[in-house]
Amino acid sequence: MPDETIYQSMKNKGVSRRDFLKLSGLFAMALGFTKAPPFEESGLPTSLEFSPKVAEPIVRAMETKPRLPVIWLEFQDCTGCSEALTRSNSPTLSSLVLNTLTIEYHETLSAAAGFQVEEAKQQAMKKYAGQYILVVEGSIPVGEEALYCVIGGRTGEEILKEAAAGAAAIIAVGNCSSFGGLPKAKPNPTNAKGVWEIITDKPIINISGCPAIPEAITGVIAHYALFGTLPELDGLHRPKTFYGVTVHDRCLRRPFYEAGKFALSFDDEGAKKGYCLYKLGCKGPTTYNSCATIKWDAGLSFPIQSGHPCLGCSEPNFWDGGGFYQGQSAPLERPEVTAVGAAVAAGVVLGAGMAVANSNQKKAAEALKGGSK
Amino acid sequence: MSIEPTMNLFVKKTGGWVASQLEACTRCGMCAEACPYYLATGKAEYAPIWKVEPLRRAYEQRFTLIGKLKVALGVEKALTDADLKAWSKVDFEACSVCGKCSGACPMGIEISSLIATVRAGITAAGLAPAGLVEKTEMQMKCGSPNGMCEDEYIKWFDSLEEKTGVKAPLDVKGADMLVVYTSLEIKDKRHNLYDLAKILNAAGIKWTISMDARDAFNMGSIIGNPKVQKELAGKILNTAKKLGVKQILVTECGHGFTTLRDAVPNVFGEELPFFVTHIAELLPNLIKEGKIKVKEGYFKNGHTYTFHDSCKIQRQGGIMDEPRYALKLLAGDTFKEMDSIRENGLCCGGGGGIRSIPEANENRLAAFKLKLAEVEKVGADVVVSTCDNCQLQLKDGFKHYNKAVEVKGLIEMVAEAMI
Amino acid sequence: MNTQTMLELARGPIFYGALLFFIAGMLYRLVTVISLGWNKDLAKPRGDKATGVVKSFLRGGIIFPFFPREKAAYARNPIVYIAGGLFHLSLFIVVILGAAHMLVWKSLIGFGWPTLPLPIVDWMAAVGIIAMVALIVNRMVHPVMKLLTGVAEVLNWLFVFLPMITGYMMTHHMFLPYENLFVLHMMSINVLLVWIPLSRISHFMFYFFSRTIHGVEWGKRNAMP
Ligand code: SF4
Ligand code: SF4
Ligand code: SF4
Repeated sequence: MPDETIYQSMKNKGVSRRDFLKLSGLFAMALGFTKAPPFEESGLPTSLEFSPKVAEPIVRAMETKPRLPVIWLEFQDCTGCSEALTRSNSPTLSSLVLNTLTIEYHETLSAAAGFQVEEAKQQAMKKYAGQYILVVEGSIPVGEEALYCVIGGRTGEEILKEAAAGAAAIIAVGNCSSFGGLPKAKPNPTNAKGVWEIITDKPIINISGCPAIPEAITGVIAHYALFGTLPELDGLHRPKTFYGVTVHDRCLRRPFYEAGKFALSFDDEGAKKGYCLYKLGCKGPTTYNSCATIKWDAGLSFPIQSGHPCLGCSEPNFWDGGGFYQGQSAPLERPEVTAVGAAVAAGVVLGAGMAVANSNQKKAAEALKGGSK
Repeated sequence: MSIEPTMNLFVKKTGGWVASQLEACTRCGMCAEACPYYLATGKAEYAPIWKVEPLRRAYEQRFTLIGKLKVALGVEKALTDADLKAWSKVDFEACSVCGKCSGACPMGIEISSLIATVRAGITAAGLAPAGLVEKTEMQMKCGSPNGMCEDEYIKWFDSLEEKTGVKAPLDVKGADMLVVYTSLEIKDKRHNLYDLAKILNAAGIKWTISMDARDAFNMGSIIGNPKVQKELAGKILNTAKKLGVKQILVTECGHGFTTLRDAVPNVFGEELPFFVTHIAELLPNLIKEGKIKVKEGYFKNGHTYTFHDSCKIQRQGGIMDEPRYALKLLAGDTFKEMDSIRENGLCCGGGGGIRSIPEANENRLAAFKLKLAEVEKVGADVVVSTCDNCQLQLKDGFKHYNKAVEVKGLIEMVAEAMI
Repeated sequence: MNTQTMLELARGPIFYGALLFFIAGMLYRLVTVISLGWNKDLAKPRGDKATGVVKSFLRGGIIFPFFPREKAAYARNPIVYIAGGLFHLSLFIVVILGAAHMLVWKSLIGFGWPTLPLPIVDWMAAVGIIAMVALIVNRMVHPVMKLLTGVAEVLNWLFVFLPMITGYMMTHHMFLPYENLFVLHMMSINVLLVWIPLSRISHFMFYFFSRTIHGVEWGKRNAMP
């Protein structure tokens, strides 16, 4: 019942006041609140240790803000982002978002199916028009190719536009809905697009990644739920809290990079010693994401820590950004033998043309008896 | 005057050899630091590669798209007569074509050869210095640029008999060696004839001289006139062929030697049927082979000797070890080396015909000063040289700067020390 | 257009085009020069031409930059050979032995090689940059070099300097985000690739001609130290 406050709804579900405060603190940290004004004014040392003071604004917001209705649409996706979210090992946060903040519609998660659930979505859209958050997962084919993604007889493009019309803000979750992702990889057979290429009149937040980091999803939704505003975004509409620095900047292998110690294959001595994966194609230096800090599976690990180079999955067109195992500095394309051949031929032909002209000049000069010889 | 003859000459001369070197230049300016005329005057336009500028422009403008584009865009002007006039002052009055720059260039560009081509271009336009033109005409007329015509030679050759008792071997068919003197010797070093005769006879060499090949001097090489060069060299070539000699010995001429040895085969398009040598090479070899005997240490007499490397005979001729061998033998440890020696030797300042250009006197004497400094540094009071032009310049220079330094030729020294 | 798209263009099609232009341009230059004809030298050699050529390259490649034989001449304009030598050394070390650049070669020619630690490469890059600055200052003040310097020479310097400085900034994440610097670096390389065949930077190709000629000429006369 979305009209109750978040706190009320939690209380109804049996969350104690103590747990509620703990959660508020977690939120505060997830949202990067360690430096929030109340905390600094308190004069406490700036440590990551939880302080109830940090959570104060969160507690206040949770006690007063109504629950936030969320509609979650999927198009050309693999459900990986949803999966990541539900399997995330910070259940307190994600279950909070999934259960407590109202997810009114989610195809994969809802028990109901077919017309029934479609009906529910329509109702929710009507009821919360102008208030709900639209979460989109998956890329959307447009134009003639829109037919590649049809749900309940309607194209994804249509469904998105309809849902976007009443949304307060749109959160594109994952690289597909943000930037087109895998479906948009060359040659993009379905003419897939990210949300922001289709919808231009709504605030859009891109939580890119393949999948998106669950803490980033929940963090952003929570931010909106609690403060009613969007977090600060970068040029690609990504929240700066999570996309402010590159993976490389926070990478635990960075010292090896600086020292020029690289793994050259996945099973060499360097790999065993945990050397930098740059030469194995790591895209960390140009990839903005918080894998290296938040990590995955409750901070257990992330690809680079586990020995795999960063693929750059939070950046646009990362599928086309050169081979995953090709060094990042390498040019994207290696000239085709035919193209090189053509260039060689062009050079030689031009040179030969010049040669003919030049030898004619010489002959003419030779023919002129004068001055010399 | 039109630019066409020059352009034609440049076009004809510009093969891959020239073009690839023009393309290789990085404009680093290092060559300037080797050039005696730049160093002596500090004038930037005397930088060796700047002397090649007309050829570079001609090449780029006639043979490359980039050059044509540059002219079309107005970045670079087409070569004009006025340019050639300006460069005539640079290429003739501040260059002895000594080739030191070629050794200093980090890219290894044969700058001095390119300068020679530019000089030919300037000459084709009729803009060569009057002094050189006059000498060229003189040589075409009487066989010697110095006005030493046939009768002078006859007198000189005749004098051999009264001096040494041996008749001059004129036009001896089947002789081993044709000896070609220069008209500088007949003017200022007449004893060379007698001294050399003594040496050659002692060594048992069948030698000959010829009226048709009496002067190794080649104004065509100096001024850059291919036609003159071919005609003058052709006389010597034909005489040598006619007499059937196995060797040509050039006495003390530098450019005459390299012209005969290195240029003539290519000018006439044939390999020479004889060997071209120079006294700087021959005399020490005769000593080494025991054909003549000299008194070791004959010149150990309180003087300090040093050897001047001539641009044409040593750097460009490659005859660097031989004269040193002779000098070490004759002067022992009183023979001292200067700083810039061998292929790195410093020009005396008087090569490349510059001594015939009055306008260049200042440059010439300024360049000599560098040589003087090296001579003084090593403390030598006798400078030995194997080139009579260098010897004249050295004498001139020492006199001009009031230095009591003696200049000696190798021929006279060997002849004197012979036993 | 966002940075990623620009980067993709700069590392992709633009680089590709520049590289092909470079190949075509250099071949044009090569063919034009070679086709001007070569005369056979008929003069009897006094020394060995082949030895001369070997010595010429040794002298030009190794001895010249740091142990100049023409000591006096080099001492008069030491910046040219010290800074010039260091610049070239830095260029080779950074471009061939730097990890990032080796990967470029690897992607182009199919195989790679071991690289030097970043600090070494980085210091060499800094040395190269300083040398370049010294070179341009020298070029602007030395009377001969001033005379020999036209717009093209200044552009030569600039187009070589830009990749160096952007590359350096990139490794140090200076002033701009990494990927913006990456774009600038790649674009400056692309400009350079196009500029080389149009300019005297192509001396690296004709160097082999002039050094060989030098070796032949001096070796032939036996005047090669
Ligand atoms: S593994 Fe990747 S992100 Fe980490 S230091 Fe190396 S290049 Fe950077
Ligand atoms: S040949 Fe000798 S005089 Fe002429 S430019 Fe070169 S160094 Fe100077
Ligand atoms: S030293 Fe060589 S490369 Fe440098 S300016 Fe002179 S000719 Fe050109």
